[in-house]
Amino acid sequence: MKRLSFLTMALVGLVLTGQTATATVRDWQLDTVHSNFYFRISHIYSIVNGQFNDFTGEIKFDPKNLAESRFYFEIKTDSIDTNNAKRDKHLQSGDFFDSGTFPPMIFESVKITDAGNNVYEVLGKFTVKGETYDLTLPLTLAGVKNHPAAQDKEVIGFNGEVTIDRLAYKVGTGKFHEMGLVGKDVEILVTLEALSDK
Amino acid sequence: MPNVMTSQDKTERIKLKAYRALVVGGLLLVIAGALSIPFVYESQTLWYKIGLDKTFLRGGQMIGLLAAVLLFVQILLAARGKFLKELFGIAALMRWHRTNGIVISFLAVSHALLILVPEGITNLPIGKKYWPEMVGMLLLCIVVAMAVSSHFREKLRLNYKRWRAIHKLLGYLVIMFLAVHVLFVSESFEQIVPRAALLIFFAGVVISIILSKKTK
Repeated sequence: MKRLSFLTMALVGLVLTGQTATATVRDWQLDTVHSNFYFRISHIYSIVNGQFNDFTGEIKFDPKNLAESRFYFEIKTDSIDTNNAKRDKHLQSGDFFDSGTFPPMIFESVKITDAGNNVYEVLGKFTVKGETYDLTLPLTLAGVKNHPAAQDKEVIGFNGEVTIDRLAYKVGTGKFHEMGLVGKDVEILVTLEALSDK
Repeated sequence: MPNVMTSQDKTERIKLKAYRALVVGGLLLVIAGALSIPFVYESQTLWYKIGLDKTFLRGGQMIGLLAAVLLFVQILLAARGKFLKELFGIAALMRWHRTNGIVISFLAVSHALLILVPEGITNLPIGKKYWPEMVGMLLLCIVVAMAVSSHFREKLRLNYKRWRAIHKLLGYLVIMFLAVHVLFVSESFEQIVPRAALLIFFAGVVISIILSKKTK
């Protein structure tokens, strides 16, 4: 009877501790209006800039509990926008993203490590055109503060840059790169703002 | 008493043949000019297509331009101006109008397929930023609907007067949509010569319609 009571109390204590740990990892609602995944790529001599206009995300972040923190983004490839309708349509075609067959690109964090100076190395699984790759996204915590325009909210910001070889992710076959038309290295700027109730 | 052709009749017949040849020759020249546009005024979209995709796209552009020329001709045939009536006769004009309508529908569908296949059939240009393409899609639907409703008017039990009124109205709409679609969908028509040629042709058709109504 005593053993049973002890076990029961231990179990309750374990559950409560777990709940407490989970409760410290804050949920942040991604502010899609003030976030984006910008990219730059070379075209012959110039640089073409673009972004994605339709994406969703989940951010759970606590610098004191990186184990439970999480970044998840789903980006609709057919929302690509390089300020040229015909180019955007070509990018959505089989020559590049094949948006009709593979609508979303997904990044899901697996492990977050503190690299110091407010930089967090977010190791995750990046799914593009149906295949999943390991990708580390270095995100710099820009800050957390009371939202200047919404008194009941706090805002958190992250910025990160990474350069990837699009051909490694099969976004393109390389024919345009061989022709000297389109570069293969894509500079990506991830800039995020997320909100949470105080 | 045998029919004797006077020298005046002979002159008239030669004149008629010459005018017919001029009209047909002029039309063939316009068609040749239109079909040369994807080569002489190549759109940048073609630069980013390789192999079969490039062939499909260029072929689709050529078929589209042919359909466009025939659409303008279609309006002239329908207007049946005095000049064309005297040259060819009403029966021939009506017969060509019917056949031309079917040909235009097939060309329009082929144009759409050849243009869309290189980008992928699952990658249709739908959305505000693709508005010139969407005007083209609307145009295609109207053209096919007109051809089908005309060809099967009796089977569909469409009242002739009502069908004719709608057919006429749609015909004018089609020409306006066509001009807008061609002017804004293709980079080729951002260049002076093709743009001017299209606008002159469009204006010519409009003037012919107005004149044909005045002389009726």
